[in-house]
Amino acid sequence: MNEPIIDVQAASVTYKIRHGASSSLKETFISTIKREKLDVEVKALKSVTFQVFPGETLAVIGRNGAGKSTLMKILARVLPPTTGRVVVRGSVAPMIELGAGFNPELTGRENIVLYGTLLGRKPAEMMERATSIGEWAEVAESLDLPVRTYSSGMLAKLAFAVATDIKSEVVLIDEILSVGDSTFQAKSKKRMLDFFQSDSAVVLVSHDVTAIRELATKALWIDQGNVMQYGEVDQVLDAYLSK
Amino acid sequence: MKIYDSDKKNRILRDTLLSLWNHRDLILILVRRDIAVRYKRSALGLLWTLLNPLLTSLVLWFVFITIFSARLPDGTQFAPYVLSGVLIVSFFVQGFNQSADSIAQGAGILMKVYVPPQVFAFAGALSNAANFFFGLFALALICLITGNGISLIFPLTILLIICMLLYVTGLGLMVAISYIRFDDTRNIFAVVVSFMMYLSPIFYPKEILSSPVLLIVNANPLTSFLDVFRFVFANTGVATWADWAYMSGTSLLVFLIGIRVFARAWPRTAVML
Repeated sequence: MNEPIIDVQAASVTYKIRHGASSSLKETFISTIKREKLDVEVKALKSVTFQVFPGETLAVIGRNGAGKSTLMKILARVLPPTTGRVVVRGSVAPMIELGAGFNPELTGRENIVLYGTLLGRKPAEMMERATSIGEWAEVAESLDLPVRTYSSGMLAKLAFAVATDIKSEVVLIDEILSVGDSTFQAKSKKRMLDFFQSDSAVVLVSHDVTAIRELATKALWIDQGNVMQYGEVDQVLDAYLSK
Repeated sequence: MKIYDSDKKNRILRDTLLSLWNHRDLILILVRRDIAVRYKRSALGLLWTLLNPLLTSLVLWFVFITIFSARLPDGTQFAPYVLSGVLIVSFFVQGFNQSADSIAQGAGILMKVYVPPQVFAFAGALSNAANFFFGLFALALICLITGNGISLIFPLTILLIICMLLYVTGLGLMVAISYIRFDDTRNIFAVVVSFMMYLSPIFYPKEILSSPVLLIVNANPLTSFLDVFRFVFANTGVATWADWAYMSGTSLLVFLIGIRVFARAWPRTAVML
């Protein structure tokens, strides 16, 4: 019997946010004395349950602010669920808008090693792969120059190349990235598609209905933290679109 | 295979130490990045690690000897005395600042990729330990030039470095959460830190203090660090067993409290980021 790679059982995330814009210790102190209530409770996810098996692709749909990013965070282990349980069997490769982690003073090669290590790989292994990653990203000539000399296109390509270099049991994708010129876009799309065809469990957050119909095997529709529908892609999508 | 189960009961201390060990590669990379970035755009590069403390002690020596005509008891050389003070204090101040700020700084990454935040705090402290280590060469040079000599038990400095690492990481973890939540805590802690700095004998001898002030200065853990360092390295002071015990005791305690405070508060803070 196959075990699910991702097993989410009645996971909820609740947090408090500040009323006002300012967050200074002084104001908190004053409000405490005045017995004002500063915090508002927000329920980002309410008892979400689903499973993803090897080779499956789960599409997560919903409007902005529905809780999709929070869901991705609990899968990426970045956030623990407030209640409920999340089990992830295997390593996780998050593919969410990267490049922010690059250090402008370090060279492309150094950034590749730093980034790969952040994603849980061995530095020695990254050192070996750095040249081929740079070639794939079409920045081979600039690989030993500081990243601050790169154009934004080069940065995006390099970030994509490092993030997708990793084969993991779980792949989290926040929108299908398309970077660079048209040839590079085709190349990066192909690499993305390989993930969907592998035995990784993929969770895809997207607004692109055609791509979802084409790639996903299951869909989860959430709205204001509630699961509206979960199951077969076409059914869930039709229900979502008709609303 | 790695299995993540959010329900797994965790033991804070063991888990934190284990995650630091498991991320040792990343810690070393982060430290190397810090050192590389610090000197990358300077013409003299790594030579600054040597020049910086030398020049600082030259300035202090000039100010205190010629302007204030300061004197230390029984012929203690001023330059090695003050430089050892400067090295310890910058290890403490910069280590604390970097460790406390590292988690707020790394929030962008921490919200996308799973890395235990404590790794950033420890790496911040460790890169300042490396800086301190480079500074030891400058101090050794000053000790030799002034004819003061180096203490023969100088390898024991490693114990002091370990204690300071624990101390600074612990303090950093204690305040890191408040750095994220409240913008004004940075200013408050800057004042606290500079108080701690001036209430330790960096450039004055303890002998000039009146007894109530001496009490406070002796209660300051930095004073024990200074006493021990001057004893084991610069040969400009004597440390008692009480100094050793106070230094290692406070460091360990602060480290353990820091780990606990942080682990408790982090999940509540992470959702707000």
